[in-house]
Amino acid sequence: MTQNYFELFNLPEKFQIDLEMLQENYRAIQKEIHPDRFATSSGNERVQSMIKSTQANDGYQTLKSPIKRAKYILSLHKSVERITLPPDFLMQQMEWEEHFEAIEKNSSELTEFKSTINKKYEEYSLLISTQIDHDHNWSDAAISIDKLYFIEKLLHKINNALS
Amino acid sequence: MALLQISEPGKSTMPHEHRRVIGIDLGTTNSLVASVVSGSPTILNINDNSNLLPSIVHYSKDSVLVGNDAKNLLSKDPKNTISSAKRLIGKRISDINQDHFSLNLADGDGVINIKTSIGMKNPIEVSAEILKTLKSVAEKNLGGELMGAVVTVPAYFDDAQRQATKDACELAGLNVLRLINEPTAAAVAYGLDKKSMGHFVVFDLGGGTFDVSILNLSKGLFEVLATHGDANLGGDDFDQAIVNFLNDKYQFKVKDIEVQTFLSILAREIKESLSTKNEVVIEKKISDIEIKETFTQEQFKILVQGLIERTLKATKSALIDAQLNNDQIDGIIMVGGSTRMPCIQESVKNLFKKELLNDLNPDEVVALGAATQANILAGNGEEDLLLLDVTPLSLGIETMGSIVERIIPRNTTLPVAMAQEFTTYKDGQTAMIIHVVQGERELVDDCRSLAKFTLKKIPPMVAGAAKIKVTFQVDTDGLLSVSAEETTTNAKASIEVKPSYGLSEDKIKTMLQSSFDLAEEDKNSRMLAETKIEAIQLIELTQKALDTDNDLLSESEFNSIKKDLDALIDSIKSSNNDKIKEANKKLNAQSESFAAKRMDRSIQKALTGKSINKLEF
Repeated sequence: MTQNYFELFNLPEKFQIDLEMLQENYRAIQKEIHPDRFATSSGNERVQSMIKSTQANDGYQTLKSPIKRAKYILSLHKSVERITLPPDFLMQQMEWEEHFEAIEKNSSELTEFKSTINKKYEEYSLLISTQIDHDHNWSDAAISIDKLYFIEKLLHKINNALS
Repeated sequence: MALLQISEPGKSTMPHEHRRVIGIDLGTTNSLVASVVSGSPTILNINDNSNLLPSIVHYSKDSVLVGNDAKNLLSKDPKNTISSAKRLIGKRISDINQDHFSLNLADGDGVINIKTSIGMKNPIEVSAEILKTLKSVAEKNLGGELMGAVVTVPAYFDDAQRQATKDACELAGLNVLRLINEPTAAAVAYGLDKKSMGHFVVFDLGGGTFDVSILNLSKGLFEVLATHGDANLGGDDFDQAIVNFLNDKYQFKVKDIEVQTFLSILAREIKESLSTKNEVVIEKKISDIEIKETFTQEQFKILVQGLIERTLKATKSALIDAQLNNDQIDGIIMVGGSTRMPCIQESVKNLFKKELLNDLNPDEVVALGAATQANILAGNGEEDLLLLDVTPLSLGIETMGSIVERIIPRNTTLPVAMAQEFTTYKDGQTAMIIHVVQGERELVDDCRSLAKFTLKKIPPMVAGAAKIKVTFQVDTDGLLSVSAEETTTNAKASIEVKPSYGLSEDKIKTMLQSSFDLAEEDKNSRMLAETKIEAIQLIELTQKALDTDNDLLSESEFNSIKKDLDALIDSIKSSNNDKIKEANKKLNAQSESFAAKRMDRSIQKALTGKSINKLEF
């Protein structure tokens, strides 16, 4: 049976999903089909449980992360193509990078910067959800996802510098 | 051996027998074996006095001694008495600092060889001796042959160390149900004992390894969120810190193995005394040098400060990977004999500002958890618990410029399969070397090399046109297999390998044969018995599957499976090993898609069952 990850976890094929439901269903599936449940079973059952359990793990990781989830939805609808980000965002990117380097050692400024970038993250997440769930505008969504990807990496760098 | 019973086809299957299974903690310093006895996990006694088996093996012309008997010879015959083999297992000679070992070590074609008076021994063989002893202790205690064992390994063990440990089990004649991580096993013991829920840190400092794991415990499911550690940090290093101090101060000969062994033993005594006392006074003469020293808790702490820092740093890294803060931790479980040191307890307590859980014996908790897990895997227990563990270290391959390209990142939940595409560097290139490495560093040389193999018969194309898909798969034992194939042409060049570390399967077989001095006849009857058990299991399972899920099959599919099932039942009566094996294989192949359909049904059931529950609330 070929099913996509949304079908596997019994969820609507949307960017906005119920993450608690995802986790609950993921756990319910693993409890049923994990290889540990078949440690003394026949070769066939062991192989099948290994395959399904691997799929469930991959599906869970894919749907759990907003960026991977968005990319996955796009992959179900259009072929992947190389995207170039618009020049104004590239400028913005450079500005943020420079600012980060300048304040890297200053934790109060970093915290402030983090909340600015966090807001951007929320903004783009919302935009992606409209583009995917409402407008079905896959091309625009692809660009927003790339932007969100950069923002997520920057947040990661800020968090590392803070800890 | 008693005759095996077979129920009539279609009738009820055999009542489920209690399967004899054990959990083994194969430690650097001590090893333990446990089993679930009358419903509770119990450590089995090694002898009248103790349930710890020192992980020490002594070789001589007349005998192989394991445990205390070997320990007694440690200072008398250090060259032939092998302790801390776990520090050598799955490693190459270039991975270790030979000064840290009072043994004669040599390179042995991928493994480390230990020169003894009766020839070369490798750490896999040494570990197998310890496992054999534990196995026979268990068989004596439990009154019969074992069905299998769960064996624990440090969470931070790499693929080579895991594979080598599994080889040692095979050499000892143990059927490994699962390798599980030591901190995870400890969490099982604590979690089930205390019915705990929430986020838990397991801080596991053993004799030679350090692990820290962060788990989310919920009802019926223990999920490892992140693990970190240091496979070269343990109680031994704390002893060594004292030895170094004494060497500096009293100018002992560093190359004198006997003196150094003596100092190690003394250092351990000092360390252990400091776990219960504030001060220890030493007056001893070693090779004409008089030691007069008063060790205080404070002084010891200064000597080992660097080691403590390393454990705390790893703990903080694990928290970051788990995306949790200190204050989100509900409990800290202390495991391993080395966590008895007051300076360790104090440091961990300070980090989390929380009391520590150390009321289960830190030496026993890993073996107890392993026994519980063995019981669950064998289907004996009532306990409903699933463990989801992770890969401790990232896995990747070497690309141009000796840069590592990560394929599976660390702390990914198991089982996992991930693939990535690579391409050729030169026009007309027809072969490619796939070099598999493990570790967190960017450069190949800084990571652990696991395997190197060549993908051949790539159709000649311009550089960059071929698409080579490399797939990494890690199973629930944490063991890796790698496959690679060219995907643009129909001519599929592919290869699949499991990394190997010195010991080839053939070599294991030879070692196995020489280690069991079984008569040919015994071997055959043993093999037949095993084949029969396997066949009976398959018969039972297939009958049950046909009873409950026959609606998934068309009439002709049902009949085909039934036909092969009957053939397998018939074949058992023949007592012909090959015939049974053949019939077994046939039934397995015939019911493959049936098994897949049943698995899908299980998934659907898991989800629908739940939404019905939800409606009730």
